[in-house]
Amino acid sequence: MHLETSAQGRIAERNPNELGGSIKAGSGKLFDRKNRLLFYNRTFKIICIASAIFVCLVLFSILFFMFRTGVLTFRDVSPLTFFFSSDWSPENESYGAFVFIFGTFALTLLTLLISVPLSVVIAVFLAEIAPSWLRNLLRPVLDLLVGIPSVVYGFLGLTILIPLLRDVTGTNMGDGILAAAIVLTIMVLPTISRISDDAISVVPRKYRDASYALGATRFQTIFKVTIPAARSGIMYGVILGMARAIGETMAVVMVIGNTPQLADALFKPTSVLTSNIVMQIANVPFDSTWNNALYMMGFLLLVISLFMIVVVRLLQRKGAHE
Amino acid sequence: MKLFKSLSVAAMAIALITSSVSVVGAASSLKGKIVINGSSALLPLTLQAANEFKKLNPKVKISASAAGSITGPQSVRKGIADIGAVDWDASQDVPGFKKFDGQVAHKVAVIPFAAVVNKNVKVDNLTTKQLQDIFSGKVTNWKDVGGSDGDIIVVNRAFGSGTRVNFQMKALAGSEFLSKGSNYKEVKSSGDMKTAVETTPNAIGYMDLVYVTSNMKAVKINDVAPSEANLVNGTYKVWGFGYYMTKGQPDGATKAFIEYIQSSKFQNGSLKKLKFIPISAIK
Repeated sequence: MHLETSAQGRIAERNPNELGGSIKAGSGKLFDRKNRLLFYNRTFKIICIASAIFVCLVLFSILFFMFRTGVLTFRDVSPLTFFFSSDWSPENESYGAFVFIFGTFALTLLTLLISVPLSVVIAVFLAEIAPSWLRNLLRPVLDLLVGIPSVVYGFLGLTILIPLLRDVTGTNMGDGILAAAIVLTIMVLPTISRISDDAISVVPRKYRDASYALGATRFQTIFKVTIPAARSGIMYGVILGMARAIGETMAVVMVIGNTPQLADALFKPTSVLTSNIVMQIANVPFDSTWNNALYMMGFLLLVISLFMIVVVRLLQRKGAHE
Repeated sequence: MKLFKSLSVAAMAIALITSSVSVVGAASSLKGKIVINGSSALLPLTLQAANEFKKLNPKVKISASAAGSITGPQSVRKGIADIGAVDWDASQDVPGFKKFDGQVAHKVAVIPFAAVVNKNVKVDNLTTKQLQDIFSGKVTNWKDVGGSDGDIIVVNRAFGSGTRVNFQMKALAGSEFLSKGSNYKEVKSSGDMKTAVETTPNAIGYMDLVYVTSNMKAVKINDVAPSEANLVNGTYKVWGFGYYMTKGQPDGATKAFIEYIQSSKFQNGSLKKLKFIPISAIK
């Protein structure tokens, strides 16, 4: 109490009308409190801006570097051959990446085909049907599943899923896009279902009440009211899961067979962009067309996942407006 | 008792001091930094040699990494590494890879390779011709090479693997691999090859002899079993030298390190323990 009055007294001495006047007025010395504060504030601002610029620089230099190395491919290979030829045999100088581009999209589509209905059903169960004790148990379990390293999924796929597929279907190998899609489904399931779960949970209670009041059953309410209302949130989850599936490498490379041939059957060993890059990058000569072609494939992957992220952002904005 | 204890402690202390003094005394004045890159098959050998060499020459820094055979001579050419470890003689042309001009190859070890099949396969012996037919896709059923009825699953290493180059040159006499088909797959490393052959019925693959486990079968090639004894007496042909590539003739610490790894002390000691075969065993 005594201290406070004395401090106020000192401020009042210098500038009686304004609080903090002593700071603004300064004492006239070169590095007094005012200048010091100004210096700290400016430095902090500069550090913040520099960090932000640094992040942008990193992203754009990665993009630029991948593109610059990748585009050298087209000195020796025509873009038409690269994108539409399915003959990938670098030892014979033919670089057709169509097999891998097609494989990537086929694998992602198949994964979504299996995982989206499953995840949405899980999300509906979590948000609408499960008793609260089960919900409180399942949500952390799903969150933990996201954290398992992908190589673990790949190894389980290789040692458990593939022999199982071989026994069930009677095929010789079991490697192929079906095996990869099943492994990826297990990986993206928690992502999609947890985000959808959140989206369904925030649908206002009045929508459901109105639906029940009109005489709708629980099933009708969920599929005609709740899910359409949570649509953009579910889409957000699907796209995030899809981005994860497209970029996944370790799990896929272990179960897909890594043979550069078109994925025209579920059990045919094939290759996708990620698996082919990781299989070959360690063994290619630097400065070769082969190396450049792998960089071009990496650039393609980067563009695809950046595109996904942009779509997610747009959906988010749309969701905010609704 | 107490006296004995303190005496023994004193003796140990003296022994410690004298031994450390002798280490310092024996340590050479050799200085330098050696960077090694290349084959993953040779990495355990390199690391072991580097550890022992550093004890003898404390002023020499050695950093070793492995990213695949072909990166060894490439790093040397680019000047990133002083030594490039590689599973074939990169100063000569081999299938798929041009020679590296101006580089000198130093033999450091002998690596035996084996053709392996899944345990369920009844075949014990394959001729070079049969191996060629299997790996090129001409023979697709085990019954055509003396086994029971069943499609052959060919497991191959990716192009650029040192093991693949050696197997192609020595066991297949340079003939081509198949590259497509629904019973054909490629794996990334020796470890993946091991898992694939172990878990896939009717599979055939190949790997370093040291990777062969009891869950698979290493077949005889032309009636010769893959073993160190058969390799040394010259009847088993599927093996290769591991090489260290240097830009021109090495000097200073690099030269001393290569000489150390080629010395009979290392070759007959640590190298044998790691299940490689000394270069001197081959006449």
